[in-house]
Formats: sequence, structure tokens, C-alpha cells
Amino acid sequence: MISVQLILLIIFGLAAIWFGWRVFMTSSMVRSALSLLASMVAIGILFLVMEAEFLGVLQIMMMGTEMSIMAIFMMMYMMDPGGLGQMDMYHQKNISIAAGVIVTVLIVGAALAADWGTIATQFPGPHEQNRLLGMEILKRSMMIFETAGVTILTGMIASIAVALSIKNSVEK
Amino acid sequence: MELLITALIIAAVLFGIGLYGALSQTNLVMIMMGIELMLGASMINLVAFWRYLHPEAFSIQMFVLIAMTVMALEGAVGFAIATQRFRTSGTVEMEESAELKG
Repeated sequence: MISVQLILLIIFGLAAIWFGWRVFMTSSMVRSALSLLASMVAIGILFLVMEAEFLGVLQIMMMGTEMSIMAIFMMMYMMDPGGLGQMDMYHQKNISIAAGVIVTVLIVGAALAADWGTIATQFPGPHEQNRLLGMEILKRSMMIFETAGVTILTGMIASIAVALSIKNSVEK
Repeated sequence: MELLITALIIAAVLFGIGLYGALSQTNLVMIMMGIELMLGASMINLVAFWRYLHPEAFSIQMFVLIAMTVMALEGAVGFAIATQRFRTSGTVEMEESAELKG
């Protein structure tokens, strides 16, 4: 039986795939970044369709910000950000297509062949989900969550250290 | 069952597109976009496994939060490397970064 959830899953799944494909099919870097933004928003909506409300909203908010920053970086660092020069930005194209297709077919094959057991019909509502996720973070997964915090701090320090101008350190 | 399989197929196709992008692009920022797509696909899988197989296991949602952290960090460190590459060689084309092979 085709449910509303399945129809929404297919619509927004196809949107995520279409925009994901457009990322690598346009010459304009700004369009690439906006396509990736649209793909990530479609993934966030897929989370909402699968009734993971908190993660869906978080995904849309985080990726909206990250992709906007990515668009700025692309305009800064690309030789031809508008795509007017029709630069060729590909290498090993046939190998890449083969790798992408083979991996997709293998994963789809595994998904279809596996015995997934019984599908859950009972699941917590949005308020209960937030409470249980909070309890998970504050109890069993507290160390993992704190590790994520330390990892973010390490990433920030590493990013600043890598991006520092070499000229300044030579002058010292 | 068809809901879980549909979500897994969507994630598989997105992962394949991301892999194609990461392998075929010559620009560092475009390679990062491919990696972002692959991480997005992995998160769809995780949410589908949580919703349709183990809705009581919130460690799966916790895992999605960790994957989002990895995505943000990958962006930050990747842009830092791009900034340094642009400063030293004036380009972020990976074809011209053969000396990074070590």
C-alpha cells in the first residue's frame, strides 16, 4: 500500500538526488553551491518525513549556514566562478563514473538482499523524542558528546593554524 | 518495508553521486562538496535505521549528531587548507598540487 510518507519520501529523495547531480553538472560555482544547499535541505526534509523532527530542523539550519559560507569560498578561490569560460574541471571521468555506479549498485543490492526483520510501527512523538535524545546525551552518550565538543575545538585550532600566513611566521 | 528500502536506495544513489564528484573533480572545494554528499547519504541511512528498525535506540540519533559535527569540521579544515593552498600557489586545483603526495 502506498502511503503519504512513501510518496513524500520519493518526492524529496528525488529532489535531493537531482540537486546533488546538478552540483557537478553546472559550470557556475555559485549554482553548484546553491544546488548542494538545495540537496542538503531536501535531506533535512527527508528527516522530517521520517519523523525525526529535531534532526531535520538541525540539518536544514546547519547546512543552510555551511553552504552559504561554501558559496563565498568558491567565489573567492575559483578561477572562473561564473562558469563563463567553460573550464574543464574534471579528471579520470570514466573511472569516477564506474566507481560511482558500481558502489551504488552494490549498496542497493545489499539493501534489497538483506533481511531487515520487522519494521517498527510504534515510535515516540516529537516531544518524547527530544526528551529521550536529551537523556541519551546526558547519560549513556555523555562522553561521546563531550568528545564531539573537544573535536570541534581541536578542529577550530587546526583550521586557524593551517590557514595562518606563512609570511608572518618567517618574519619572527 | 518499502519505506526503509526507498530511503536506503535514495541514500545509495546520493552516495554514488558524491563518490563520483569526489573522484572526478579537480578543484578542492568541489571535492569537499562530493564528500558532503556522501556524509549526507550516510545520515539518511542512520535516520532510516532509527525510524524503521530501532525507534527506541537514541544512540542512532546521537550518531547522526556526530556525523553532522564531522561535516562541519570537514568544511572548516578543508577551507583552511584551501586558504593556505591559494596563498602559497594561487590556486586550489588539485592537479597542480602534486608536491602534496609527499
